[in-house]
Amino acid sequence: MPLTDIVAPNAIIPALKVNGKKQAIQELAARAAELSGQNERVIFEILLQREKLGSTGIGHGIAIPHGKLPKLERLFGLFARLERAVDFESLDGQPVDLVFLLLAPEGAGADHLKALAQVARLLRDPETANKLRESRDAEALYAVLTMTPPATA
Amino acid sequence: MQALDTISIIILLGALLVLAGILSSLVALRFGAPLLLVFLLVGMLAGESGPGGIRFDDVRLAYMVGSVALALILFDGGLRTKFATFRSVIWPAGTLATFGVLITATLTAPVAIYLLNMSWTEALLVGAVVASTDAAAVFFLMHSRGLRLRPRVGATIEVESGTNDPIAIFLTIILVEILMAGPKSWDDIALLLVQQAVIGLLLGVIGGRTIVGVLNNVSLPQGLHAPFVATAGVVVFALSQAANGSGFLAVYLAGMIVGNRTARAHGTILAFMDAATWLGQIAMFVLLGLLSWPERLLQHLLPGLAVALVLMLVARPVAVFVSLLPFGFTFRERLFISWVGLRGAVGVFLASIPLLVGLPNAHVYFDIGFVVVIVSLLIQGWTVPFAARRLRIAKRRPDTFHPRVELDLPGQRAQELVGYPVAPGSPFLRRGFMPPWAKLTLVIRDERVLTPEEARGIHEGDHVYLLAPQDKAQALDRFFADLPPPSSPDPRLLGDFFVTGDVTLSALAEIYGISFEGDQSMMTLSDYFVRRLGRAPQAGTTIRVGEVALVAHRVKDGRVVTAGLQLAEEEAAPWWKRIWMTLRRMLSD
Repeated sequence: MPLTDIVAPNAIIPALKVNGKKQAIQELAARAAELSGQNERVIFEILLQREKLGSTGIGHGIAIPHGKLPKLERLFGLFARLERAVDFESLDGQPVDLVFLLLAPEGAGADHLKALAQVARLLRDPETANKLRESRDAEALYAVLTMTPPATA
Repeated sequence: MQALDTISIIILLGALLVLAGILSSLVALRFGAPLLLVFLLVGMLAGESGPGGIRFDDVRLAYMVGSVALALILFDGGLRTKFATFRSVIWPAGTLATFGVLITATLTAPVAIYLLNMSWTEALLVGAVVASTDAAAVFFLMHSRGLRLRPRVGATIEVESGTNDPIAIFLTIILVEILMAGPKSWDDIALLLVQQAVIGLLLGVIGGRTIVGVLNNVSLPQGLHAPFVATAGVVVFALSQAANGSGFLAVYLAGMIVGNRTARAHGTILAFMDAATWLGQIAMFVLLGLLSWPERLLQHLLPGLAVALVLMLVARPVAVFVSLLPFGFTFRERLFISWVGLRGAVGVFLASIPLLVGLPNAHVYFDIGFVVVIVSLLIQGWTVPFAARRLRIAKRRPDTFHPRVELDLPGQRAQELVGYPVAPGSPFLRRGFMPPWAKLTLVIRDERVLTPEEARGIHEGDHVYLLAPQDKAQALDRFFADLPPPSSPDPRLLGDFFVTGDVTLSALAEIYGISFEGDQSMMTLSDYFVRRLGRAPQAGTTIRVGEVALVAHRVKDGRVVTAGLQLAEEEAAPWWKRIWMTLRRMLSD
């Protein structure tokens, strides 16, 4: 599935200012609610619940908070570059500055997993991550996210 | 006065030889030649048939120096082996060190029977002499090329080489005794083996704990901690030997206990042991080089070469492939472990035992052992980094960053002071982030010592000192060294996401839509691992559930602490793309 189907061009935040993990998730939930028309509180709770199982910080400064939303119609993605990296309780201890939020509808099943894997592998590619860190505006970030073919790991 | 003069000259010669050994390391580093080989050559050159012309045939002295040096090397190896590492590979490495050594010795023996007209017992002695591996050589080579081995492979090689020495030594001594005093019954041999192992084990554990106890509770004058530990290690070794136990096993275990228990002066001890092992290795190899007799060596060159080739190409690979069969290593990993069965110090040392006890034809064993070690160091030693890259066992990672300073803080042992220079472009400067458990304590700028308040921020060129828990100090390196992130992470060792072991299956099922068979919804993930495997998982153990693979990531006391979640595989890339990626990888190698 191309990433353009998941992330809309306006679902990019080029420089989000936050002081910590919780605030980052809060801001992302607010923006996701705005764009998807879902309840902000519900999104926030679902993301936090997932974090309780273990941080979604996957290392190398990347986090992919995710969860399932009953009333959602299709996969929803939102990308943010943080202005200052924050501690995300990642396993490798590195602060996170690239965050990709992925919400899936209740019945998404395999599509949800595939999308998650795709995003994780895309961001984990050092080249892509570097390009994202160097890009300043939303258009450039969107281009990097959607143009790069996923690296075959 | 003549006697005094002679002594002075002996001291001068000895010191010059060691100095030559140390300086030759520069040459070795430049050419990437295995250092140990260079030390041997220095000894040979200084000997009676080289330009040095020194007459040396004191086997007793060589054996004594060799024993002490070996004890120190093993002690040092133990010090640097983490319990967790040891536990995670105890079975594969243990099998290699026992069963593997037996296979290696047995498969090497026929060459000696055929080419040297030896009896089985004599031929087995040849096999035993060359059966154990030397990790120091492997790790030194990897390090000097800035390569990092896959953790499990590296740990297996490391632990194997620490634990197979006692076995090879035991085997050698038994065979020498049989050759000297006639056959022994299997009962006797078994009894002796058990006795050696048990006494070695006991004295090692007791010795290690005693050293830790003394170190932590008796306040020695500053600077005496490290020599105390080193000497105590030799005492443990000698005591165990004197009590008819395996001193080599004891000293390795004692080292491991000392290294893993939080003890005072940890950093100093490691630095001191580093120096002591270097000196030990140099002295040992130079002496053994002196002891050799190059002209006679030539006579046994061909059979020696044959033994070396069979050992490297047949005996060791078979031993590795058979021993590691149950442990889930990949073909490439086993191939690599076979190839890095480098022979080193122990081989030549064991080869000198027949000389010491005056076995008939003793020099044959010595010469064969000597040739095998040289060939192994030359061929395998030189090609290890190449093999590691070709078999994709190592990641390139310039690990040359070591400017960390660690300072003990007397009065407590949990925290220590860790110092770093702040280099331009270090991750810390770029991101301005510090882990919450590290506390900035001092900043040194322009030769002035400042508190963090006085310093007002950290600049390029400063030196910073941070307060950090002792076991986490190393993790700070990431913030101050510009290490490139390890590229292409090994997908076997990683998951896409991580969860903790106490997560229930129902929580996972809910988020990821994984269906677990049966009604186990309230079971935790770490219980599930045990249930599915029927045994305690190890780091890297993978179980599949439908589309998803669960990888044990961190394991403590046989329970999964964190697990990786590998989500559905991507669809395979088209064939032209796969070929292109392979080509690119080969080119970038």
